[in-house]
Amino acid sequence: MATDLRISNISKIYPGCIANDNVSLQFKSGKIYALLGENGAGKSTLVKILSGVISPDNGEVFLNEKNLKLSSPLDAKKNKIGMVFQHFNLFETLSVFENLSIDATEDNKSLRVRINEILKKYNFNIDLDVPVLNLSAGQKQKVEIIRCLLRSPKVLIMDEPTSVLTEQETEELFISLKKFCDEGILIIYITHKLKEVLSLCDEVAVMRKGKVVSVSQTQNEKVETLANKMVGQKLAKIKKKINISKNKDEIFKVKHLNFYSDDPFETNLVNLNFSVKKGECLGIAGISGNGQNELFQILSGEIITPNTSIIFRNKEIAKLNPKQRREYLMAFSPEDRISQAAVPELKIYENVALNNFKSSNFFEKGLVNEGKIKEHSKKILSDFSVNTDNVELKSQFLSGGNLQKLILGRELITAPELLICYNPTWGLDVGAINYIHETLIKINDQEKSTILISTDTEELLKLSDRIAVIYKGKLSKIMPSDEVTPEKLGILMGGGSID
Amino acid sequence: MEDLLIKIEKRNDVPTTLYFLTPFIAIILTIVGGGIIFYTLGFNPIEALKFYFITPISNLYGFSELLLKATPLCLIAIGLSFCFKSNNWNIGAEGQLTFGAIVGGGVALLFYNQEGFYILPLIIIAGAIGGMIFALIPAILKTYFNTNEILVSLMLVYVSKLILDYLVVGPWSNPEGFNFPETRQFSDSARMPLLFESLRIHAGIFIALAAVLVGWFVLYKTYLGFQIKVSGLSLKTAKYAGFKGKTMILIVFMISGACAGLAGVGEITGPIGQLHRMISPDYGFTAIIVAFLGRLNPFGIIFASLVVSLTYLGAETAQIFLQIPQYTGQVFQGMILFFLLASDYLLFFKIKFLNLKKNELGH
Repeated sequence: MATDLRISNISKIYPGCIANDNVSLQFKSGKIYALLGENGAGKSTLVKILSGVISPDNGEVFLNEKNLKLSSPLDAKKNKIGMVFQHFNLFETLSVFENLSIDATEDNKSLRVRINEILKKYNFNIDLDVPVLNLSAGQKQKVEIIRCLLRSPKVLIMDEPTSVLTEQETEELFISLKKFCDEGILIIYITHKLKEVLSLCDEVAVMRKGKVVSVSQTQNEKVETLANKMVGQKLAKIKKKINISKNKDEIFKVKHLNFYSDDPFETNLVNLNFSVKKGECLGIAGISGNGQNELFQILSGEIITPNTSIIFRNKEIAKLNPKQRREYLMAFSPEDRISQAAVPELKIYENVALNNFKSSNFFEKGLVNEGKIKEHSKKILSDFSVNTDNVELKSQFLSGGNLQKLILGRELITAPELLICYNPTWGLDVGAINYIHETLIKINDQEKSTILISTDTEELLKLSDRIAVIYKGKLSKIMPSDEVTPEKLGILMGGGSID
Repeated sequence: MEDLLIKIEKRNDVPTTLYFLTPFIAIILTIVGGGIIFYTLGFNPIEALKFYFITPISNLYGFSELLLKATPLCLIAIGLSFCFKSNNWNIGAEGQLTFGAIVGGGVALLFYNQEGFYILPLIIIAGAIGGMIFALIPAILKTYFNTNEILVSLMLVYVSKLILDYLVVGPWSNPEGFNFPETRQFSDSARMPLLFESLRIHAGIFIALAAVLVGWFVLYKTYLGFQIKVSGLSLKTAKYAGFKGKTMILIVFMISGACAGLAGVGEITGPIGQLHRMISPDYGFTAIIVAFLGRLNPFGIIFASLVVSLTYLGAETAQIFLQIPQYTGQVFQGMILFFLLASDYLLFFKIKFLNLKKNELGH
C-alpha cells in the first residue's frame, strides 16, 4: 500500500528563534526525499516533531490522510514512523539481540527468527550475540535500522546518518536505503551533504532559517544550485571595511596542526597551517562537525597536540594551557556559553573570576580578593551594557545575549591582542547579534586581531577580512573575503571545489 | 484508554533556604521511619525512640561520648567534602583512617617505653602523612592511568585492614599479650590529653574544630577553593579556564587522606591506646553520610556529625535496654542517607504526571 505523509503549516517557536515557520511538505512512498539545510535551519526540529519528541505550536501531520497526534515517541512508533538518530540509542554492554528485544512485544524465539530473516534479506552481516560495544559505527547503525524494520515501518527517517560512517559503510547504507525504498518504505533523509543528496535522493527540500525555500527534483539540481539555496543569497547589510594590507606583521601563526582522536564523534584535523595579521579578522567557515570544536580547543590550549607549532607574538605557545596563553594576551569565547564559557550556578562575579589573569589581582597570594573581582565585574557589566548591575546574580538568570556580552566583556577587558571566538552569536536575537558584531568590528579597528570560527556564513562575510573553509578536518586555501561569495563558500562547505 | 506518562524535569532554581532545610526534613523522616520499624518489631515506638535519641545524651558522660564519636566523623567528613565538591569520589576514607592509624601507631610503638612532649606531635604528623600517602594511590591511578577512584579507594580499604590484621597478629603483637591480636599499650606521652577527669573526650576534638575552620577558609576564601568549586560544577569550564586538573585531584585526595589519617590517630591515641583489629566502627564510611547531610559545608558537617554520632550511641543503648542488635545504628544511618537523597531528588527535580489519550491510529 502506498504511503503518503503530509506536513501542513507546522510552526515551532523557541524563545528568540523561530525553528519552523509554517512548514508544509508532502512525501510519497517509492521515493527517497532529502531534507537539506545548514545547522539551525530547522531540519532537526521538524524531524523531532515527526518522531514525537517535541510537539509543534501549530500545524498538523497527516499519514494517508489521517491526522496524527504525535505527542510522544511512542505515538510515532505506533504509527509506523521509524527514526534513526545521529547518535545511537543502544546499550553498549548488552548484546545486539538483547538491545533489539528490549521493546519487542513478541517472545525471543520468534523475534530471533524475524531478525534473522531481515539480516538475510538485506545482506546485513551482524553477530546477534556480541555486545554492541564491539560493533563498528556502521554496524551499530544497522542495529538501529533493524529495530525500525522489526516494526514494519511505513516511514523511515534518517538523521545525518553518514556523519560517523566510512566511505564503504556509506555505500552499503545507500544500497540498503534504495532497497527499502523499492519495497514501499517512504524514506526521509536529513543531511547537509550536497553530494549525498545528488547521488541518493529523488526529491530535495531545502530549508533555511526555519522555512522551506525550495522543493525540487534532484535530477534538475547541481552542487552549486543546491549550495546557493541552502546558504541564501542575502548579503550582509553592514559590511566591515575590508582590511588587507600585505606588509602588516603576522601576530599568530599555526604550523602543522594535526589532531587524531579515537572518538568516532570527533573529527580528525589534518595538517592545518594559517596565520593572522595584526588588526585582521580571519574567518573560518564550515558546517558544524567538520572539526571546528577540535580546532577551537587546540587554539585555546584545552587540547595540546604534539608536533604542532603555534607562534603568538614571536613566542612558541603550543605547549601552554589556556590560563598561560591568556597571560600572553589571548582571549577565548567558546561556542558553548552555557556550560563551558560560564557556569550557570555561579554568580556573575565568580564567572568573571574564571579569567584570572595575573595583573587582575583577583587572587592575591592564593586568597580570593572578592572586592577586586566585584569591582571589575561591575565595570564589565556597564562597559558591555549587560542588562543588570547585580554582580551577585547567578548567571543562569541572564538571557543568552546578556550572558554572551558578559563573556565577551570578561575576555576583552584584558585588551587581548587576539580573540578567538566560536559561533559567538549562536541562538541570540537580532539586537544582541548586532551588538556583538559591532564589538568584534571595533576590536579590529583598534588593531587587535580576531579568529572567527562560525557556521553562519552571513556573519563571516560581514566580519572577516580573509576566509577559509574547514571541511572534514581540512582547511581550504585562505581567500580575501571580497573575492568570496556565499555560493563559493557553500560549495567548499559541502566538500566541493572551486577554481 | 489512557496512558500515564511520568515526566521528570529539572528545577531551574532551588531556594537556598530549602536546600539547607532538607537535611532536617530527612532527619525527621528518619525518626518517623525508625518509629515505624520499632512498632513493627513490637516495641512502643515513643519509648524506643527515647532510648535511642534521648537516653544516650541525658547525662554528662553520654554527652562526652557524643562528642567523642562525632570527632572522627567530623574530621573525615571535612576532608571528604574537598573531594566530593570537586567531583572526586573518594569512598575509601576508612582505609585512609586505618593506614594513618598504622603509621601513627607504628611511631607510638617505637616510643612505647619513652616519655616526652615531642612524641604525640610526631604520631599525629605520622598519621596524617600515612592517610595522605594511602589516599594518593587512587589519586595517582586516576590522574595518570584513568582508573575509577571509587573502585580503587574502596578496594584499598580491605588492603589496609588486612595490613593492620597482619601487623597486630604478627610483628607488632604484644610480646606479653598472650597472643591476643593487639599491640602493646602506648606510653602516656603518646596519648591524647583528656579534657576532663573520668570522661573519655580528648584533645582530638580541637583538631576537628581546627579542620572545620581551615576547611571553611580554604573552600570559600582561596583560589584553590574556587578551583574546586568550578571543577565540581563543570569540568569543561575548569579546563577552559586552564585550571591544573591533575594537580587539583592530587591535592584534594591528599587533604582528604590526611584528615582521615588524623581521625585514625585520634582514635588510637585517644580512647583506644593501642592498635588492634577494631579501631573504627566504619567511621570512614559513615563520614560519607555526614558529609552529604552537612551539605559539604564545614559548619553543616559539625551538626551532621553530632546527629550521626547519636545513632551510634543510640544503637548501644538500644542493645542494652531493648535487646536489639547494635547494627540498628547502621539501619538509622542508612535511613538518613536514603531520606536525604530522596528529598534532594524532589528538591532538584519536579515530577509531572501527564495523561495522554491513546491515539486511535495506534492499531
